[in-house]
Amino acid sequence: MTGTAIPLRVGWRGRPATLLASLVPFALLLAAWQAMALSGAFPAQVMVPPATVAATLLRLASDGELARHVGDSLSRLLLGYAAGALAGLAFGATLALSRWVEAAFAPLFHTLWQVPVIAFVPVLILFLGIDEGFKITVVAVAAFFPIALAAFDAIRGVPAGFFEVARVYRTRLPDLIRRILIPATVPAVLVGLRIGIIRAWVVLVAAELLAADSGIGQMMEMGRQMFQIDVVLAGVLVSGVIGFALDRAARAVEARATRWQRA
Amino acid sequence: MSVPRALPWQARLMLGLVPPALLLAWWQSQAQAGGARAAVFASLATIGVAAREQIASGALLGDATATLTRALTGFGIGGTLGFAAGVLLALSRWAERLLGPLLQAFRQVPMIGWLPLFALWFGTGDGSQVTVIAVSAFFPALLNTHAGIVQVERRFLDVGRIYRLRAVQRFRLILLPGALPLVLTGLTQALSFAWIAAIGTEILLGSGGGLGVTLQTAQTEQRLDAMLVTIAVTAALGFALNQIIRHLRARLLHWQPVGA
Repeated sequence: MTGTAIPLRVGWRGRPATLLASLVPFALLLAAWQAMALSGAFPAQVMVPPATVAATLLRLASDGELARHVGDSLSRLLLGYAAGALAGLAFGATLALSRWVEAAFAPLFHTLWQVPVIAFVPVLILFLGIDEGFKITVVAVAAFFPIALAAFDAIRGVPAGFFEVARVYRTRLPDLIRRILIPATVPAVLVGLRIGIIRAWVVLVAAELLAADSGIGQMMEMGRQMFQIDVVLAGVLVSGVIGFALDRAARAVEARATRWQRA
Repeated sequence: MSVPRALPWQARLMLGLVPPALLLAWWQSQAQAGGARAAVFASLATIGVAAREQIASGALLGDATATLTRALTGFGIGGTLGFAAGVLLALSRWAERLLGPLLQAFRQVPMIGWLPLFALWFGTGDGSQVTVIAVSAFFPALLNTHAGIVQVERRFLDVGRIYRLRAVQRFRLILLPGALPLVLTGLTQALSFAWIAAIGTEILLGSGGGLGVTLQTAQTEQRLDAMLVTIAVTAALGFALNQIIRHLRARLLHWQPVGA
């Protein structure tokens, strides 16, 4: 499943005045929601007022439960992502640098790429159980594919002239990698790394919904089973904030690492 | 070190078959090793039998139909609403100011993360599943449509003004064709997200039939053979959906220069 999201911005354009203005819709939504919840048109279990959700969020934050869930989710994410990203970079680079390796592994890679990562979840549970190993592996698999593909495309996109110059100078392989391949491929690889971490996060939340004893996904699933809609909504909110923060952080790294392009 | 030269296609084909063949051989040896391992690793013959059983009983066809119906229903709803919202936000400053930030915030939630909430609201049946699928399809359609219309060049609109086009004509003759490449990119993405969300919600809710439900049942029954057959079908159908929309795209954009 390819398709790289293009960096788009709907609404929300930096300046303080517009930032303030962009809070108005949220205020309106909250007010409408609160009014609807208080009107009694819906059963209290289905329509929890935002004030209750805020109180629940505060309670979860102060008794340390939220920190535990978020901490568990993030440590899984980082461990799995680090493994998946390293493997993806190494695999993509090898595939791009050797036609033999490409011919051997590209068909298998592209076939597996057709399978939604989430469809591997039951298989991984069968082999690994539902412990930490399983969740970290799911995250790694989710990160591996887009990053391997980005590394491959980035290296294949390096103009042939660069290699010719390197040959003229008799550049050795370590220097070729450090001085030509890495600088020339950083922008595209960073895009892949960003897509990888977002995919990894989405898949991790799904895996935690299915099988976990902690984590933000598990918190939501428990909330659902115990009919605590305020806990579920708090989880939706927190997972959204984390997704947003990950995306922003990745974009900031991208902007920093590709400064020289604009200079 | 030079740029590696392309290999002849015969060599590529042969090489491409090596890793899958090795994988299968390793798999088969695990299956025949006996003991606890063999219980998990289904032998190739068992997988073949499972495939035949699932096809003959019509279970596979039923699953595929159920999942496809769900995915396409969600895609239809989410894609249409996403397209409409994208147009609205691109054309109306008020809509963009009011809805833009809200949609931007909702987009941050991982798509399957909506499932527990919708399951509480709409139950664990088709309603929740289709809603999650529609939400997954909605955002790529929205964002790309919006971007597509916003990036239509000003001079095209100026020409339209000279011809005194009415709003509907302006939309149909200038904005829509100009935005079409990105709109189609958005719909392609929306369809693949819808497919993933369909499988994901089925695995998580495990009700109402479908490929994901079968995957989940097979996992609880420790039936790797049934799982692999279902995964293969999932991959093939996802691939087919992608190819269909690619061809549609190429056909609709035949006026575009190659490679655009």
